[in-house]
Amino acid sequence: MKRSGLVVLIVLILSIKGHAQGRGGAQGGRPPTPKAGAPFDMTGYWVSIVTEDWRWRMFPNKGDYGGIPLNPEGRRTADAWDPAKDEAAGEQCKSYGAPSIMRVPGRLQITWQDDQTLKIETDAGRQIRLFRFAAEGSKGGDLQGLSRAEWELNGPGLGFAIAGGGVRGGGSLKVTTTNVRPGYLRRNGVPYSANAKMTEYFDLVKETNGDTYLVLTSTVEDPTYLAQPWITAVHFKKQADASGWNPTACVVR
Amino acid sequence: MRTITFSIVLVALFAFSITFFGQVSTPSPGIGIPLGPLVSGTDFSGSYRWLNHQDAGLFTAAGDIADWGGIPLNDAARLYALSWPASRQTVKQQQCMGYVPPYTWMSPGNHRIWEERDPATQRLVAIHYWGQIAQVDRTIYMDGRPHPPAYAPHTFPGFSTGKFEENILTITTTHIKRGWIRANGVPQSDAATVTEHLIRHGDVVTVFSVVNDPVYLSEPMSKTSIVVRQAIAPDAWLYACDDSEQILGRKNDYVPSHLFGQNPFAREYAEKNKLSLLGAFGGRETIYPEFLGAVKDTAAAEAAAKAKMLPSGPQQNSRAPDPTPNDGNIHVFHVTGSVYLLAGDGANIAVQVGAQGAIVVDTGAGKLSEKVIPEIAKLSTKPIQFIVNTSFHSDHVGGNKKLQAVGADPSLTGSFFSNQFADAGQGATILGQQNVQTRMQEQKPPMEAPPSDTYLEDRRRKYHNEEAVEIFPMPNAITDGDSVVHFRRSDVIVTGDIFTTTQYPFIDLKNGGSLQGEIRALNFILDRTVYRNDEDGGTLIIPGHGRVTNEWEVAEYRDMLVIIRDRVQAMLKNGASLEQVKAARPTADFDPRFGATTGPWTTDAFIEAVYVSLKNPPRSAN
Repeated sequence: MKRSGLVVLIVLILSIKGHAQGRGGAQGGRPPTPKAGAPFDMTGYWVSIVTEDWRWRMFPNKGDYGGIPLNPEGRRTADAWDPAKDEAAGEQCKSYGAPSIMRVPGRLQITWQDDQTLKIETDAGRQIRLFRFAAEGSKGGDLQGLSRAEWELNGPGLGFAIAGGGVRGGGSLKVTTTNVRPGYLRRNGVPYSANAKMTEYFDLVKETNGDTYLVLTSTVEDPTYLAQPWITAVHFKKQADASGWNPTACVVR
Repeated sequence: MRTITFSIVLVALFAFSITFFGQVSTPSPGIGIPLGPLVSGTDFSGSYRWLNHQDAGLFTAAGDIADWGGIPLNDAARLYALSWPASRQTVKQQQCMGYVPPYTWMSPGNHRIWEERDPATQRLVAIHYWGQIAQVDRTIYMDGRPHPPAYAPHTFPGFSTGKFEENILTITTTHIKRGWIRANGVPQSDAATVTEHLIRHGDVVTVFSVVNDPVYLSEPMSKTSIVVRQAIAPDAWLYACDDSEQILGRKNDYVPSHLFGQNPFAREYAEKNKLSLLGAFGGRETIYPEFLGAVKDTAAAEAAAKAKMLPSGPQQNSRAPDPTPNDGNIHVFHVTGSVYLLAGDGANIAVQVGAQGAIVVDTGAGKLSEKVIPEIAKLSTKPIQFIVNTSFHSDHVGGNKKLQAVGADPSLTGSFFSNQFADAGQGATILGQQNVQTRMQEQKPPMEAPPSDTYLEDRRRKYHNEEAVEIFPMPNAITDGDSVVHFRRSDVIVTGDIFTTTQYPFIDLKNGGSLQGEIRALNFILDRTVYRNDEDGGTLIIPGHGRVTNEWEVAEYRDMLVIIRDRVQAMLKNGASLEQVKAARPTADFDPRFGATTGPWTTDAFIEAVYVSLKNPPRSAN
């Protein structure tokens, strides 16, 4: 009797956890694809609202690297930046790579390229970022590098729980980007190296007036040029349509 | 053992049933005492510091003049900011100004967040926040309680309620004082409401905020800030502020400001950073990517920037909601101590209660006296003993007759006066400055129930309901018969229309009012007030119209009048006519908060009152 009671208890608790997994949970079959299991819909057109780092995003000047925890080598490299040299070398897009593109004022179009790949296109610099949920795919090495994506669903935590087990639904998109070609964190020659690793979290926020925002928190680690991780956030406002979508070429200055 | 096993099974079944039905029901507010959510969602407890990896140099109390790019401020806010010199902070009441959300998150000191849980149920009652800089003490109620009524006081942290939306803590804050969007002159008005979404990833918390300010923003301002959780709690949590700095010899009607178009530092930031002045001046267009294209024509951008240094366009009406309830009912609000506010019948009515009969300051318009009387009766079992009129204006004395009739002044019954007046003590005694009586009797027909107990220059004082009560005549302010009343133990000052939160002061030139007297009266009030902490709390103020405040709003009102006075005075020195002064819009930066283009007291009428006061100063101004 004692054993059978414990078995009942375990079964029931497991059933609680099972019920609690919420959206995206498999109904006895294969787990859903990242697209089907997305806790929120990021697709559509988004415009960057430039209320953070306005000066550095709108009018970056050489040597103005305030806020970025550069090490001495990073400062030396930033101070030596020669925009004319970039232009002559056809390197206009060095400040449009993954670690910087999301802070460039512009618009995004987000779509699912397939069930395993979320695609972000930017009108500024006409860049494409691919967030790959599957292991296979690009090896990186270009400006946008290799971006691995995963949904971080809100779990029940490790503690004992009742009433839904603390499961709150929702979650975040976590993207880890490596294998980038060296470029600039800002459009003023502040460098990042091929060793840079960027971790991004995308969260969706809805205001009561219907406005929807995508909040992006990112951490750039670069032992070559940064003394510590550079942690920033930007946000985008959802648009009803493609208004304002204006693909433009990369510019150096 | 069988019993134990059975109990375990029951517990498990209970847990299952909870899951099956989705959640434990939480009583909604209004049904019972709100209990708050059973589970808290993300735990934000801990010590944090603001991370300056973005917006470097723009922490609280920092930022260059005219570094406003990326702020969707409107024209009035820009003019306000261009008029603001950093030396404004030397004004006594500005020295310890608090910080408002969401700006608080950008303070460079330590931040602490902790939960408050009901010890019996472990339900989340509130989340608390302490900010070291300006010692911000903020409570975010999680138990579903409603926000206070519109006529309740504002504070710098405001009144916050929160809820978990999946993994995000969403905080809604109202009742915020006028503060800073950025402490380089960009104001956030007291009509602003703020939503903050706290998103935690490991030790990094992103605060995504949206400020809706109908007065000073042309569209909601959304923004992120980042705070980082600290592994070891720091020990620096205080930042004492005392407004004891003095500039010897400075008069109390001096408020530093730049005249419109004459801020010598307006271009400094843009030139230093080689960026467009139009951009540095901010505005909704600067927050969108298109702005980069808008400044390619540098000559046009420069011309547009220059135009923004002066008022333009039509006069603006106040966009701040009127906190006065206008639903035909009387609303009672406990201000503090023994003093209550009754709102809803014209001017505010203040009531002091205790073991003796009530003292009523002003009786409203008189349209709802039948509702006022029973509300006072609920507060005091004794009849109204004294009525004080702060002015003779009809919205302050309209209920005199009815309220007097239900009152009684037992201090007169059986006294010397009983021999002289058969009705001595029958009905409340009405007090007022002599000119209130005179003006009421001068009206055609004469107004009913004027003060019978009057005074001239000196204060009247009473010790009533175990409280010292002082009544001070304020010469030539709104009229020549104004008074303010100070309930000293409760520490509440009732100002009449000398101070309102709803409009420019109704300076009644025909009946002896003047700008000089008005500013002097506001300074008199400020000489009697004490704040509790960083310009919050302490002495509370019941204005003639609008919401309850403390000294901060009175000081802001005084500062506004001094600034407008100085602008008009400068124009007068150059021989400007009244029409030229009006056309120059010397109130442009304050109009979205206090202005009116229609109604009984328009901005033009106020400017005229300022102009005439300065051109023909009252004798009392000398």
